[in-house]
Amino acid sequence: MAKITKAWMIGLLAFILILTGCSSDTDGSVEGETENNEENGDTVTLEVGSWRTEDTAKYEKLFEAFNEKHPDIQLEFKPSKNTEYNTILNTALQSGEGPDIMQLRPYAAGAELADAGYLEPIEDLEGLDTFPDSSLMAAQGSDGTQYGVPLNMSTTQMFYNKKIFDELGLEEPQTYEEFIELNETFKSEGYTPLAMGTKEGWLMSLMHGIVGPAHYGANEFVEQIENGETDFVSDEYVASIEAMEQLKDYFPDNSEGLGMEDIRTLFFTEQAAMFPLGSWEIEVLKEMNPDLELDFFPMPSAVGKEPTITTWVDGSYAINANSEHKEEAKKFLEWMTTEEFGQMFTEEFSMVSAVPGVESDNQLVSDLAQAADEISTPYLILVHFAKGNPSSKAELETELQGMYLGEQTPEGVAEAVQKSAEGYYEPFQN
Amino acid sequence: MNTAETQVKAVNKPAAKTKTKRKWKRWAIHLFPIPALIIYGLFIVYPILAAFTYSLFDWNGLVRGAFVGLENFKALFSLQPYKDLFWNAFQHNILYFVVQMIVQNGLAFVLAFIIYKKIKGAEFFKIAFFMPRLLSIIVVGFLWKLILNPNFGALNVILGKFGLENLQKAWLGDPDTALMAIILVNSWFGLGFAVLIFLAGIQSIPHELIEAATLDGAKGWKMMSKIIIPLMMPAITIITVLTFIQSFEAFELVYAMQGSQGEPYHSTDTLAIYFYRLAFGGTSGGGSSAIGLGSALAVVLFLFISVFTAILLYFMRKKEVEM
Repeated sequence: MAKITKAWMIGLLAFILILTGCSSDTDGSVEGETENNEENGDTVTLEVGSWRTEDTAKYEKLFEAFNEKHPDIQLEFKPSKNTEYNTILNTALQSGEGPDIMQLRPYAAGAELADAGYLEPIEDLEGLDTFPDSSLMAAQGSDGTQYGVPLNMSTTQMFYNKKIFDELGLEEPQTYEEFIELNETFKSEGYTPLAMGTKEGWLMSLMHGIVGPAHYGANEFVEQIENGETDFVSDEYVASIEAMEQLKDYFPDNSEGLGMEDIRTLFFTEQAAMFPLGSWEIEVLKEMNPDLELDFFPMPSAVGKEPTITTWVDGSYAINANSEHKEEAKKFLEWMTTEEFGQMFTEEFSMVSAVPGVESDNQLVSDLAQAADEISTPYLILVHFAKGNPSSKAELETELQGMYLGEQTPEGVAEAVQKSAEGYYEPFQN
Repeated sequence: MNTAETQVKAVNKPAAKTKTKRKWKRWAIHLFPIPALIIYGLFIVYPILAAFTYSLFDWNGLVRGAFVGLENFKALFSLQPYKDLFWNAFQHNILYFVVQMIVQNGLAFVLAFIIYKKIKGAEFFKIAFFMPRLLSIIVVGFLWKLILNPNFGALNVILGKFGLENLQKAWLGDPDTALMAIILVNSWFGLGFAVLIFLAGIQSIPHELIEAATLDGAKGWKMMSKIIIPLMMPAITIITVLTFIQSFEAFELVYAMQGSQGEPYHSTDTLAIYFYRLAFGGTSGGGSSAIGLGSALAVVLFLFISVFTAILLYFMRKKEVEM
């Protein structure tokens, strides 16, 4: 008797353990549940979902300003953890729940939600024409219908430590050769030239987004890709991967074991001279080391083009198709297209607003915004190729990692990306 | 069992109780499991049935498409890159199991025996070995990530202090050591639990039995292989089965230490991590979810674990002896 019970217990345990693995697609819905529909008099409360838990206080300020204009609309910021946001949001939307207004991941990930019918189209929203097409593209369904209002631009570029540059009497590089010479100088002077590690894949595609355009010829190449005139196994693109391999000489010791926190620490403790990363790091770096003299330079081209910084829309806001207060939500999205909002956003968040022409009193942010307007190139692998499973972006990341570990060649990396993209990218399918 | 108990009770009841009342009582007892069954059905049976059905459909992102039968399963085992990724992850799970069995459970057995022998401070060691188990596995992951950090982590610093610089490594960045590092951390985490189970197993062997065996001249290895191990088989069975299940579901620690991409270069990919990536598109921003393929993988994993657990139980049961 006792034996049989034990067998059952173990069997049951096995059952429960495995099911915890399979059941994740339902238990997220509990968290996404909305309880905000109590209407006190005429006031409507809208729930706003986001992955920026760290920005709660800043959003509250924005919402107060909006509330002054629309006293009948209250906004409540309900963020969830960055890495869990997609899962939580997807499951909530699948069960017909979710916040009224939600922050949308850009490009393919947002389009997936739009195509599933979870979002409210906003084609006729007032003020949408403020944005250039390249920004609007980030929040469209795959049929080109507009679903979201772009919030901010992210840029990636080479940050550098001005103090170290001054100490060694160095200038911002004007050509790619000068950039390599810079690296050599830092190395011989005992500094780590580039704060970069290859343990986390996303850093690989991010760095390629900065260095790559200098080798494949930036926007011209992007245009050719969009027209299907060239592909990832072309010499230009392979050259951009080879350049990544070459830069390994300038990474810190043990770079294969370093992740985001490690390389950031190397840079703000002023052991490393340059930091190829994104605009969102400005705030963090300032907080970690207020004395850090931070500046950036656009990446000079190795093939005789203009220098570039890399930009994309990082997030936008869209309306839940199941929301009971779509009209009120639209009022908020309309406000997001105004210069007033852009100005306030830039000042509060120290980020580049997606509303064009907004200036910031933070010199660095202002310079970045200007560069984004004038010499930008898209983050190609994210804008067009964050699709498929595994996505071409993930393929690029993994294979670059393999290359740095000596298990893959630059040609092999390019081939893997090409193969993955051929699965869905129409210009490649002819 | 329930009915048997109620019958016994019913017999003991005063005869004044009417038959109908007794009947009602007997019937009512079956209502009590209902709340538990509802929860069980909703959160356990329903999801698995859902996963089964999901795996039979074509999915376009989050939208369910046409019924495709077993196409998802076919794709999982015949199409690239799914095929390679599956076998790659599967091998890692096997390694996970084997190393855990040898290091975690082997060591635990020895330690349990030493503690049983009542060495000085046995109680202290018992608690000390169990300590890691009290921490959240996510905390364990982060702690060991710090210890294994190549540039300021404790392990490399200690190696340096002893003049062993050539052994210093990027433990979690090198595909040759990353998975092994994670498995060993997991063994460290699980050691205490295995010690407790083994210890309970040894302690449940009647003293007279061991004394009798000693009088009959059994000692050393003979004592171990003929008396102690056979009598401890139930404990060994439980630990083996639990380790097997845990190894094939390895997720949390890998996720905490290496993220969802099986980094570096797929060297720490496990089936559960691969499932997460397939079903939810990974965490690195972008990547479509392949719910059909993900569900198919979950179903395969479920069937594999349940069938193999059953086989394992069947054979290990045969080795158990009645006292």
